[in-house]
Amino acid sequence: MATFELYRRSTIGMCLTETLDEMVQSGTLSPELAIQVLVQFDKSMTEALESQVKTKVSIKGHLHTYRFCDNVWTFILQDAMLKNDDRQENVSRVKIVACDSKLLTQ
Amino acid sequence: MATTTSGVYIHVIEDVVSKVREEFINNGGPGESVLSELQGIWETKMMQAGVLSGPIDRSLVQRPTPGGGPLTHDLNVPYEGTEEYETPTAEMLFPPTPLQTPLPGTADNSSLYNIPTGSSDYNTPGTENGSNADTESMLFIAATAFSMDKLNPRLDVNVAYEPERGNSNPQFTQDLFVPPSGKRKRDDSSAQYQNGGYIPQQDGARDAMPKANLDGNAFCITFVSDRKVPRDFTCSSSNIPQVDGPMPDAYDEMLSTPNIYSYQGPAEDFNDARTPAPNEIQTSTPVAVQNDIIEDDDDDELDDLESGEDMNTQHLVLAQFDKVTRTKSRWKCNLKNGIMHINDKDILFNKALGEFDF
Repeated sequence: MATFELYRRSTIGMCLTETLDEMVQSGTLSPELAIQVLVQFDKSMTEALESQVKTKVSIKGHLHTYRFCDNVWTFILQDAMLKNDDRQENVSRVKIVACDSKLLTQ
Repeated sequence: MATTTSGVYIHVIEDVVSKVREEFINNGGPGESVLSELQGIWETKMMQAGVLSGPIDRSLVQRPTPGGGPLTHDLNVPYEGTEEYETPTAEMLFPPTPLQTPLPGTADNSSLYNIPTGSSDYNTPGTENGSNADTESMLFIAATAFSMDKLNPRLDVNVAYEPERGNSNPQFTQDLFVPPSGKRKRDDSSAQYQNGGYIPQQDGARDAMPKANLDGNAFCITFVSDRKVPRDFTCSSSNIPQVDGPMPDAYDEMLSTPNIYSYQGPAEDFNDARTPAPNEIQTSTPVAVQNDIIEDDDDDELDDLESGEDMNTQHLVLAQFDKVTRTKSRWKCNLKNGIMHINDKDILFNKALGEFDF
C-alpha cells in the first residue's frame, strides 16, 4: 500500500526516524521492523491530520520558485505571511511541499 | 479528542505504538520492552524539540479496547496481516495447484489473496481490505479462464483434465485437418491455400491458428486469430515465430514483453519516496514544461542556499494539495492535512488557502 512519506520530514517524523536509527544501530531493532514502524507512522499521521485537526490557515507571499515533479508540488515563498485563526506568523522564506491528495484515495 | 498540537502528537504516538505492538510481541519480535523503549526515546526527543509539552497527559488519548486487536475493522491495517514486506513464502508465491482450476465455489480465498503480484500490484490504498483484493484476484482468474474458453471451447490445457471429455479427443484429431469454422469466416482468402500443407499448432498459450500460404517460391505461414496480426508476416520454413499482441518489428521480436522498454522508470518509482505511487504525470494546472526551463536559471543560485538550510532550520510546510491554479502570475492553491514548522513552532492544519505572486 502506498503511503505518503512526506510527514517523516516533520519534527515528529524526524524524532521517530532518529529513534529508530539509534535502535537499529545498536542492534535492538531489526531494519525491517523499523520500516514497518515508519509505514505505520505514515498511516497514523495521515489519519490524525484528517480527523483530529480542524484548523484553517491562509498563506500569502511572493513565489520565488515553483516545481511540479512526480506529482509533488514544491513552492518556495519569500516574505510570507501565514495566518491562523489565533495568530499570524511572518517568515522571510518558507518551503512548501505538497503531495497530490488524490493519490491516496484512488 | 485532542485539539492541541501536542495532543495530536501524543495521539499519533499512542496509535503507532499500539498498532505495531503486535509485530513486536508476536512472530519472534523484540518484545514489549523494546517497544516501550522506542516510545520513551521518541517522546523524549520530541520534548527536547519543544513540540511536546510534558508531562504527558495520556487521559486525553482514547486508548484502543484492551485485548490488543481492534474490534472495528481498520482499513489502514492489512486484512490478514500478510504485509507486503514480509518475506514471501513458497505458499504465497506459488499457490497450490487447485488455483489453476477456477471452478466456482472451490476457490480458496486466502490463496487467491496471495497470488504473486500480477494482480496485487494494482491494488490501491482504498481497496486494502482483503475482500476487495480477493474479488479483484478472483475476477482476474475468472476473466482469464473465461476468455480462454471462449477462444477454444474444445480444448483448454489450463483446465484440469477431466476424463469425461472423451468426446473432445476425436474432435481434436479432426482439427488437424479442418480449421474451426469460426476461424474460416475470418479470412476466406486463405481457404484456397488449405491444400498447401496445413500445419496446425495448438498449445496452452492460445496462439493463432497458422495457415500456410504458397506464395511463389516462398512457403509462408501466417497466423490468423482474433488478434490483429498483419497477414504478410513471412518466415522461413525452418523458423516459425510466434507473435503475441501488437506486431513488433524484427528487432523487438526478441522481446517477450514490449512494456519493458516503455518509458515508465519503474525502479525510480519504487526507490524514491513512495509518496506518489502511480507513474502518470497528472498536472492539475495549466502550467506546462516551462516549469523546468524557468527553473534552470534559478537553480544555480538557489541550490547553494537550499543545500545549506534545507532540512534543518528552514521553515517548512508539509501538506497535500487539492488544487493548484495559476492566472498569469497569480498562483492559488488549496492544501489540506498539513504540518507547518514555522518560527520553531509546529502548527497543524486541516485546510489551507495559498495565494502567491510570482
